[in-house]
Amino acid sequence: MIKRVEINYRGIFQKNLGKYIGGDIVLIASREGKVAFSNGRYSDAPERNGIPCKYFAFVSPDLSEEELEAECGAKMDIDEADVSVVLDDTMSKGVEPWGWHGIRPINEKVREKGCMLVVTEKGHDDLVKFFAKKPFDYRLATLEGVASLAGLWVFKDDLTRERTLGAIAAVDPGIISIEAVEGYLLDKTKDKKRAQAAREAYDATLRNIKRVTAKEGIDWPHKVPVLPKWHEFEEGGVVVPAVKRGFKMGPRGQNRNEMFKRGTTKTERPVVRFDLCIKCTLCWLDCPDECFDPTDDGLYDIHFEFCTGCHKCAAVCPVPECIVMVDELKFDNEKSPWEDYVKDPAGYVKWAEDKKGKERIYYPPVTGRGKEIREGTTVPAKLAK
Amino acid sequence: MKVAKEVIEKKEVWEREELLTGCQAVAHAVRLADVDVIAAYPIRPYTEVMDLLSKLIADGELDAEYLVADSEHSQFEIVKHASSVGARAFAGSSGTGWMYGMEALVVTATDRLPPLFLVGNRALDDPGAFGVEHNDAMAVRDMGWLLLWATTAQEALEHVLIGYRVAEDKRVRMPIALAMDGAFLTHSQHIVKVPTQEAAKKFLPPYDLGERRLHPDNPVSIAPQVNEDWVIELRRQNWEAARRAKGVIKEAYQEFNEVFGPRYQNPWFTEFQTDDAEVVLIGLGTVAMPARTAVRRLREQGKKVGYVNLRWFRPFPSQELRDCLGRFKAVGIIDRDFAHGSPDSGGILCHDIRSCLYPLQKRPNVFNIITGLGGRDVAIDDCIKMYDIGFKAAEGKVGDELVTWIGLRE
Amino acid sequence: MVQTKVDFEKIKNVRETPLEEFYTSGHRTCQGCESALVMRDFAKASGARTIATGATGCMYVANTSYMTTPWIIPWMHTQLGAGGASAVGMAAGLRALMRKGKIPKEKINVINFSGDLGGGDMGLSGISGALQTDLDLLIILYDNESAANTDIQATGLTTYGAQTTFTPPGSKRRIMHRRWKKNVAAMLAVGHPTCRYVATASATFPALDFLNKTRKALAIGGPTFIHTFDPCPKGWDYHPSYSREIGELGIKSGIFPLYEIVDGKISYTYDPRKRGRIPVREYLEKQGRFAHFIDEDFDYIQKRVDEMWDEWSLPGIAPFKGGLELAAAAK
Repeated sequence: MIKRVEINYRGIFQKNLGKYIGGDIVLIASREGKVAFSNGRYSDAPERNGIPCKYFAFVSPDLSEEELEAECGAKMDIDEADVSVVLDDTMSKGVEPWGWHGIRPINEKVREKGCMLVVTEKGHDDLVKFFAKKPFDYRLATLEGVASLAGLWVFKDDLTRERTLGAIAAVDPGIISIEAVEGYLLDKTKDKKRAQAAREAYDATLRNIKRVTAKEGIDWPHKVPVLPKWHEFEEGGVVVPAVKRGFKMGPRGQNRNEMFKRGTTKTERPVVRFDLCIKCTLCWLDCPDECFDPTDDGLYDIHFEFCTGCHKCAAVCPVPECIVMVDELKFDNEKSPWEDYVKDPAGYVKWAEDKKGKERIYYPPVTGRGKEIREGTTVPAKLAK
Repeated sequence: MKVAKEVIEKKEVWEREELLTGCQAVAHAVRLADVDVIAAYPIRPYTEVMDLLSKLIADGELDAEYLVADSEHSQFEIVKHASSVGARAFAGSSGTGWMYGMEALVVTATDRLPPLFLVGNRALDDPGAFGVEHNDAMAVRDMGWLLLWATTAQEALEHVLIGYRVAEDKRVRMPIALAMDGAFLTHSQHIVKVPTQEAAKKFLPPYDLGERRLHPDNPVSIAPQVNEDWVIELRRQNWEAARRAKGVIKEAYQEFNEVFGPRYQNPWFTEFQTDDAEVVLIGLGTVAMPARTAVRRLREQGKKVGYVNLRWFRPFPSQELRDCLGRFKAVGIIDRDFAHGSPDSGGILCHDIRSCLYPLQKRPNVFNIITGLGGRDVAIDDCIKMYDIGFKAAEGKVGDELVTWIGLRE
Repeated sequence: MVQTKVDFEKIKNVRETPLEEFYTSGHRTCQGCESALVMRDFAKASGARTIATGATGCMYVANTSYMTTPWIIPWMHTQLGAGGASAVGMAAGLRALMRKGKIPKEKINVINFSGDLGGGDMGLSGISGALQTDLDLLIILYDNESAANTDIQATGLTTYGAQTTFTPPGSKRRIMHRRWKKNVAAMLAVGHPTCRYVATASATFPALDFLNKTRKALAIGGPTFIHTFDPCPKGWDYHPSYSREIGELGIKSGIFPLYEIVDGKISYTYDPRKRGRIPVREYLEKQGRFAHFIDEDFDYIQKRVDEMWDEWSLPGIAPFKGGLELAAAAK
């Protein structure tokens, strides 16, 4: 019997967290007399800030280490997951980790009767509405919390690690038992608080596991790219055609790399108050991902399929409340915001303010030192008559 | 030099005769090939090719960009990138210098670019030594390179032209190393027939990368990063190209013979007195001279011996060698290289030949001679000793050891 | 002291910035990657008649992962230490082909970009060789102060004391990276008297500066070199939204001097002696890679930066502390 765990996490921001959890699973399972090993998905590396990544842990109570490795190791990706942990709920919208991979559903690997385990403040339905329909039932467990984002050097010790272990024990004790989790944490850290956090998460998660039926979710709109055979692509030193040159004003006016859009890198997306914009150009100028499309009225549209949610535009915009970053899960499409604004300016402003709410997300310079939600101001619409 | 009198047909394709070293012969061929970019860096014993090329440019006989590089790595990279924009390019090196630029040599092959390099075979450091050894050129044998040895200055000159023709063919597009023994070929002067520019142009078409040429009219991205989804397919493509190269080589020699007269009957190797031979030696490079002289002397004594001078090492002419060597009772493989710790401690050429003979139902007895390393002379008497071993091998009296070292103080 | 006037199409204000991209969306760089902005900017400034090579590094791997490309201009990978050689090879190849009538004559911009290692360590030999030639080419060193593509290791351009995987603070030794950052641009300017243009720049501060420096370098003729200062959210450990701010702080603290040398004449793009120099602490403490610093470390860096601007005869550029009066004395 093999238990397979995948940990979906945001590259760099959760690199250490993902690795710790994966490693902890191995050590805890080992304490229970099981055989286990863990590894990162090799093609993810080098990781980039925000890119969706995976870490794996494999556990078996009866196989030898070599057999477990033969079944699970030395592979590019996991075959299927008994538990699929998602450390940032915005990955529920789909993940595209590199070119030619395609945008895949977050629940792609979860097996029948397996369990998605998502760290989120949202409810079951808020997440399932983004999942792909599967031909069988599985489960979704939610672990209350915000995505714990940090950096390479400064870790955010907010007990997400411990709580996730407790939650895994709740959704599938065959992997690790809560007693073993507590014992491990106590032995390792001598800190009762950590074991307690795991236990509390375990208890809470038990109450938050719901079945997802084969009818729930969406028909997944993205195809998986078919990779060409060796004689079907350009021979000669790996030559790919450049992105075709092409630019015109307006939404989607710039030709882009259609092979890898990577919009699934976003945890937040910018919401623009076009009515307040002073057309300084700085958002467009400073965007490292070239997602702004200049329009004939001097405004800048955003191509959300390509936006990576880096916050730079929000940081550089000189007008208060003009560009505000908003939780990516509040949006269910990548339509052109400028087109909506032009069609109905007042309606768009209302929509924008509704999405923004009163929350303004603030990250300190060193990411691992915390994330705050501050209160924003609502600037009235500045609409031409 | 060829033993038989040279058959000179088609006198009009030869412009003049000149006293040239092996290096200088290559320089003239590079001139005739209208090379566009040359990158130079000094290392004995290949340097002289670059000396002459710069003089040819200074005297207006060749129009090419000539860069003196800061290192071999840069030298080879300059040539690789010049090649990528559609310029016919030339560089070269020896020994440890060739190894310094090894990274560049590997990627030139995987980038599928066809510059030509002269390797003046030289012993690898440490310690430093200038004398001939083949390990330098052989280091690229697995990487998707064309690799051949010239035995005379004339052959070297002609194979620069043949080399570009094959390498640049769009069915091939592999870099090519033309190897020549340090000192014995690089430095010794012989009278060489130099072709006319017209004849060279008639034989060698212009270098055309088509849609793979890097140019603003042709926007491509060359060598994007790949992962497990792609590498094995790319390797398969390169492997296929190396297989196709054999057919292109045959075509190239046919075309060459049409323009220059029937100079090469067999692209892969030349056979000397092998028709009824029982014991044959095979080797690369100038060791052919004492070996063939030994053959003549032993034949005078009625011994049935012969010599095979191998030219193309990559692509390796497996079937042709099976057909040839399968006829003999014993085959002695001369390695002017080393492969410490290899299977049965044999040299590099020994392993390739032994391996290609494996499928034969009836195999010759094979023995390996390691000799001439670091420029140690290989005397006629040394070759006679090799044939003596061969006679024993032919009778099935093979010792426990595959390898005999000859010419060594022991 | 007036610099040579170089005839090039200067972008005078942000609204005149060309809108078309030649390096476009769809690359796997980090959120907030300033080096990606450098790519975007040089390609935009250079335009369609350009060929670029990228040495192994973030701007190679991240941009093309996997078997894909964001480049609209023709581009080729080159080896990590081969940046200079690749530019020379392309420029020489094009020049020969044009002169010999094998391809039409036209101005084609030849550009190589290399990172810390390719531009400041391994690749120095080739770049030095390139800057001695008379070929028209531009080499850009995009400096994110680490070997970033290999997941952050120290290089010759890493700031003193920074944490990387090779230089972690430990219980016995707090500072493992004890090397002071090399002045690559100045070093190259001093060593290559026939190289007409060497500059440092940042993609965001001041606005348009790097775009115009690229254009000037491409117009002036001969080999040229620009060293850009690229704050890196991954390696420096800060939230991507701060990329612009940290770049500005790095320049205003004097840690990264911003200047241009045209035909041997220096001009400061940002002169901290005139416009003020903020304490290095304001810049350093915003980055997780210095989270282990104590006062002693901030003070050391401050001292060295003070020296750069207060004691060097070529402030911020070359560590000569006197002796230049000899030149004056001879006159």
